[in-house]
Amino acid sequence: MNELQRIANYFTSNLDRIIGYTLEHLILIVIAIIFSVALWVSIGIALRNHKNMANGVLGVGSFIMSVPSIALYGILISIPGLGLSRQSAVVGLVLYSMLPILRNVYVALNEVDKNILEAAKGMGMSEGQILRKVQLPLALPVILAGVRVATVMMVGIATLAVYIGERNLGVLIEQGLKRSRSDMIIVGALLVTVFVVIIDFFIGWLEKTIISKGIQSDDPSLPGGDL
Amino acid sequence: MGVERLIEIMQEQGIQLLQRHLYLVFVSLFFAIVTALPIGILVTRPPFNKKINQILSFLNTAQGIPSLAVIAIFLPIMGVGVRPAIFALSIYALLPIARNTVAAINSLDPDVLEAAKGMGLSKKEILFKVELPLAAPIIVAGIQTATIFTVGTATIAHLIGAGGLGRLIFTGIAMNSPEFILAGSLIAAAIAITLDQLLGYFQMRVRRKFGG
Repeated sequence: MNELQRIANYFTSNLDRIIGYTLEHLILIVIAIIFSVALWVSIGIALRNHKNMANGVLGVGSFIMSVPSIALYGILISIPGLGLSRQSAVVGLVLYSMLPILRNVYVALNEVDKNILEAAKGMGMSEGQILRKVQLPLALPVILAGVRVATVMMVGIATLAVYIGERNLGVLIEQGLKRSRSDMIIVGALLVTVFVVIIDFFIGWLEKTIISKGIQSDDPSLPGGDL
Repeated sequence: MGVERLIEIMQEQGIQLLQRHLYLVFVSLFFAIVTALPIGILVTRPPFNKKINQILSFLNTAQGIPSLAVIAIFLPIMGVGVRPAIFALSIYALLPIARNTVAAINSLDPDVLEAAKGMGLSKKEILFKVELPLAAPIIVAGIQTATIFTVGTATIAHLIGAGGLGRLIFTGIAMNSPEFILAGSLIAAAIAITLDQLLGYFQMRVRRKFGG
């Protein structure tokens, strides 16, 4: 049997398991994204007028970002209470999303035109109203760009979480490497890549759908994150 | 969990694996830089520059491919060992450098290029005396990103038999030994952070020198 047939064969005969792994992958990402957005967006909002503190916190974020993901997972599972569990996987992903999301929230909120804020104030809006009705909607494109970068990154890092007990698409690669099964490796690598592209595409579509039409940028080279 | 055991592991195996790790990182970065810069420059010249937005979004997407997939995919083709690891790491590191090179040259002010042309500079002079110096800070930022990625991905290169600090981490996870995990993780994290800071400083110097 040639290589291509073996790959196709592996894929079709293990479709049930593959679907299961894909769902597990998706569930982990969704949990992590919900926590990340809730946490980092609120912290970004809280820090929006505290420049020094924000710089300190962002420094911590870029510090975490530069730690290799398997090393961060290694450190996390050594912490009593986390261990080999889904909590460790989620905490790791949330920590990695800190820099892209928090930085974009902070920068975007601070880049809103001062004249617009002045106008909103002049119209008698309270600070909370200005935040909800003016600042956040205007900052949304940049915030979503950060969420997109974070999500794509998470899909990749999540494949490494199989070494700390997750059972997602990374399992195919992990098992393939362990057993020197090239069909498993190739199916795993291709599926993970397709998964990343689909997720990226989906968030791109989401951006177009929920961002106010008036402020949509047609710049195709929108921040892919210069991390 | 003992601190003494942790230090013992670092001394016995950490130093040797650190050397291997740095070897993997620097050789891969070298290959990545010498291929990514010419590719990046070539893409911004005719006839490729018409498709520049598609090329940029391709490079953006390719960068999202998980490192584990990139490392693993070359195993069936190239086997195990240091060589396939360096090949995979180089390709992975190439993406952010090429992307930033293309994006930086592409975003230069057309008026500046027009002025350079008006002053009678040849195409080659414009590239080396105007375009590349102005793009330098962003290119260095790409190299910084690539370096951090490579330090991280090199830990996974252990899985295809290339050695490096990943060995301590993966062995530690398999043996359930926090000392091994922490020895590898802490050294790997320390290299990544140190290189990040150094390149951040270098980037600042470049930015000061060339402006932008």
